[in-house]
Amino acid sequence: MRSSTTGWLLLLPTIVILVFTGVMPFIYVLLTSFFDWNLFAVNPEPQWAAANNFRRLVHDAEFLKSIWLTLKFTLYVLVSQVAIGFALARLMMRDFPFKKFFRAVHTLPLMIAPIAVGATWRLMTVPGLGPIPYYLKNWFGIDYRLSMFPDQAFASVVLMDIWHWTPFVTLTLLAGLSNLPQEPVEQARIDGANEVQIFWDIILPAMKPVLLTTIFIRIMDALRVVDEVWMLTQGGPGAETRFIGLHIWKIVFPKTDYGYGSAMSLLTLYLTIVICWLLYVAMTARKERPL
Amino acid sequence: MFMRHLATSFVALAVASPAMADFWSDAGAAYQGVTIRGVSESTPPSNYVRDVLAPKFTEATGIQVEFETTSWDQMYDKAIKDMEAGSGIYDFVYIEQDAIYSYLSRDFLVDMTKMMAENPALVNPEFSFDNFTSFIDYFKNADGDVFGVPMEAFIKVYLYRKDLFENPEIKASFQEKYGYELAPAKTFQQWHDIAEFFTQYGLDNGEELYGTTVQAASGHPASWYEFWESIAPLYGVYNWGINQDTWTASVEHGGRMNSPEAVEALTFWLDLIKYAPPEATASTWDEVASSFAAGRAAQGLVYGENATWIATNAEKSSVVGNVGVALPPTAEGVMEEAQAGNGYIGYYDGGAFGIPHSSKNKEAALLFMEYIAQPEVQADWAEAGGRIVLNSTYDDPKVQEIDAKTDHYFTLMKDSGDLFAGAPPYPFHNQVREATAPFIYEAIIGNLTPQEALDKMAETTETELKNLGYTAN
Amino acid sequence: MTRAGSKWITFALWVLFSLMTLVPIWWMFLVSVKQRADLFGKPSFLLNIGRMTWDNYAIVITNPAFQKYMLNSLIVSTANAALVCALGLLAAYAMSRYRMKGKDNIFFWVLTNRMAPPAAFLLPLYLLFTGVFSVGEWSLFDTRIGLILLYCVLNLPFAFWLLQGIIDGIPAELDEAAYVDGASTWQVLRTVIIPLAGPGIAVTGILTWVFAWNEYLFASTLTSVNARTITTGLAEFVTVTGTNWGQMAAVAMLTLLPAALVLALVQKHIVAGLTFGAVKG
Repeated sequence: MRSSTTGWLLLLPTIVILVFTGVMPFIYVLLTSFFDWNLFAVNPEPQWAAANNFRRLVHDAEFLKSIWLTLKFTLYVLVSQVAIGFALARLMMRDFPFKKFFRAVHTLPLMIAPIAVGATWRLMTVPGLGPIPYYLKNWFGIDYRLSMFPDQAFASVVLMDIWHWTPFVTLTLLAGLSNLPQEPVEQARIDGANEVQIFWDIILPAMKPVLLTTIFIRIMDALRVVDEVWMLTQGGPGAETRFIGLHIWKIVFPKTDYGYGSAMSLLTLYLTIVICWLLYVAMTARKERPL
Repeated sequence: MFMRHLATSFVALAVASPAMADFWSDAGAAYQGVTIRGVSESTPPSNYVRDVLAPKFTEATGIQVEFETTSWDQMYDKAIKDMEAGSGIYDFVYIEQDAIYSYLSRDFLVDMTKMMAENPALVNPEFSFDNFTSFIDYFKNADGDVFGVPMEAFIKVYLYRKDLFENPEIKASFQEKYGYELAPAKTFQQWHDIAEFFTQYGLDNGEELYGTTVQAASGHPASWYEFWESIAPLYGVYNWGINQDTWTASVEHGGRMNSPEAVEALTFWLDLIKYAPPEATASTWDEVASSFAAGRAAQGLVYGENATWIATNAEKSSVVGNVGVALPPTAEGVMEEAQAGNGYIGYYDGGAFGIPHSSKNKEAALLFMEYIAQPEVQADWAEAGGRIVLNSTYDDPKVQEIDAKTDHYFTLMKDSGDLFAGAPPYPFHNQVREATAPFIYEAIIGNLTPQEALDKMAETTETELKNLGYTAN
Repeated sequence: MTRAGSKWITFALWVLFSLMTLVPIWWMFLVSVKQRADLFGKPSFLLNIGRMTWDNYAIVITNPAFQKYMLNSLIVSTANAALVCALGLLAAYAMSRYRMKGKDNIFFWVLTNRMAPPAAFLLPLYLLFTGVFSVGEWSLFDTRIGLILLYCVLNLPFAFWLLQGIIDGIPAELDEAAYVDGASTWQVLRTVIIPLAGPGIAVTGILTWVFAWNEYLFASTLTSVNARTITTGLAEFVTVTGTNWGQMAAVAMLTLLPAALVLALVQKHIVAGLTFGAVKG
């Protein structure tokens, strides 16, 4: 380890840029959250409101519902993506023909803009044009209409996210699996352990840091999902897919409720940081004292 | 056909230009090389401005125009942020009629009457606010000063499929089933019967045909608009049921938002969804027009900006020549109220261009506003966007030709436009809409009954108006 | 089960998964080459070559606005990816090799920049871009440089994290040896770290490039006509044409194309690069 002055100098450009693009807006949002400020109120000037906005949030059913939906969405996509991604990564470790081709195909959704992902899925689900409503109706007699049935809309949004982001999980886990030392596994085989035991006792613990990192990144991004949901359902039907990012957008833009929207953002950011911090602590703890 | 129109219009312009040339090039001389920027919703009329009128203006004056056409919500967001922050990005902004009260309440816009009086050199001798239809009144303040130059105006009319309504076999079978003659609906019962009849007809004949369009997007304010702009007024509930003396909405506090009439209206409208194409619950104004143009609905309320292309543009519409236009059905007494000027039967929709105070090129922008208000440019623009803002445009031979092809939509607008009205004068338009729209969505998907939805809307409206400072805490 | 047998079962499974991945994209392609009249009716996943049309692409590609959006996207993503890789590399090197107080907190703080819900930060960013970061008539609003700087808030944390993992994987003894030989920090970076971290930097660059290419919300608010990017173009297209599905699909396909090309470039390194500093354990 070398002296810290050079270290700080190397970090400086990063810090400076993030202060301008991250910290300054944050301070603005922080200040705004303590004001009552709607452009089209009788008094359009910001008025000091102390902690009123935050107090209102606690009783705001729409906000709470939105948070709850976001958490539910995050949990669903996270569990599915990690499970599927892990299975696929293990499958990718095997030897089979055209491996590189399949890996490239699998990675494709990751490269698509969220807004285009939403457009793609909209084309799949539009009544009259998309194959999903058509075949569900003709093969299973299911009336599939995103704009009418909340469960279908929620499930579709979850499926879309799984389609979009599982490749990322697969790739990071694959990176982890490729770097695992092979000796413990082989030793265990010699000792007569079966594949299930090897997976639970050797591979999974060794993969824990990679898993945590992957989960961290996915949670961070799933909690702020907006574009593709906006494109597919616009938050509907009702408010059944109005995740927090979208909800805040509606409060801050069409409704121009700047003070309240800022308070909402802060609380959401705080929640995200807490969740991520817990994971981060788990990750760094692992680094310092190997289990 | 289109080419011929284009050719005639060029001729018209060429004839008109020698007289005009002096004013535009003289007035523009001082602003050579200046670039004015505008923002609008990407609609056929706005796109016509961007693609046709702006380049012509540049040619005539030497003033460059950068015209951003974007989505409806983006447009608001950008215009409001710019005017509020005073950043001066835009030199002219689109003002939808329903936004003018918000903008005036914040003093965002330049008083054009005053500006013209102070800068006579900037005024085209042939320009006059008196050339405009009465729609311009929406953009005036209490003193009669104008804050926006209208660029589009339509009414939300009842469209029906003439080929179906006039088919003798269909007529006979309708007569047999309902005991009266099939004709454009005048009452809600008729609207309902016709919807039911054609949905069944579609099923029986294996056709993708449904009884009516419904603009019932379950996650987009379009549904909220169809209900409060058209359906509730047709049942006699005006101005969203808000009492403008007390700023209350619930019946309990003197409003009508959750009145029995409103409940009846919402119940009727929600019931129509079952006779609408499956995309109805995802339909905004665009999709409603597309559904009708694709021949998927027998009748429905459609914004007039779409009526012309649905009726005439064979490239986009499969019902060309089969479009009938009529006034919407009404509840008893509502038509009389509208005729007496005490009510209205739907939305007189449209917008204007205004100049923000923050603009750095107000004079050049004013010239552009005058340029697009010339009678000579109106007819082609009307064809492209189905809009009319000048009285003289109605008499233009080309417009009359389109009028004949659209079952006299323009005539209907000219004669019956007064029965329609713009949005109520609420500076809190967007705020109350955003606060209450979710309850309409919930009612559409059946999470709330009409009564529950309207009760909640009334309660939320009152809370919102309290938060905004209209009523005391 | 024989080894060859399991090999083909794996193969079959991957064929299945790939189909699931490709169906939505294939469908989008089909819609983009269908004639208007063929859009509705019984959906078929087969390409009807006789009736296919490139009109939708022709309309989009010949549109000057679209060309400008494409160019803007290319410039913004490339410049942003280069910038975050450079800054991220310096920062990650510092994080990996230097003794600094509160290093972990700085690291976490950098990451938090990616966590903020973007909607609420649009307003302050807008005010900063139009009012604070401006000189006379000129402001950051609607400029490509504005977007290039702004995307750092999303991409820098990501690049920083990835690169730190990669540098952690390079034995510190190598740069110590170079220092002993009298190399400066810059020389060590250039001669030791960059060559060894090459594939990792490439992956970082490409992923951040893709993220920048794909970003929508900031671009839609902070640009107007001059610096608009392809994703805002796509969204605009969808919201305003409403139901012009063929052209919407064509734009979406064209949006996806460069990213797919980029993917083909990075294939070889992508797994090796994605270690996030976690594997060392």
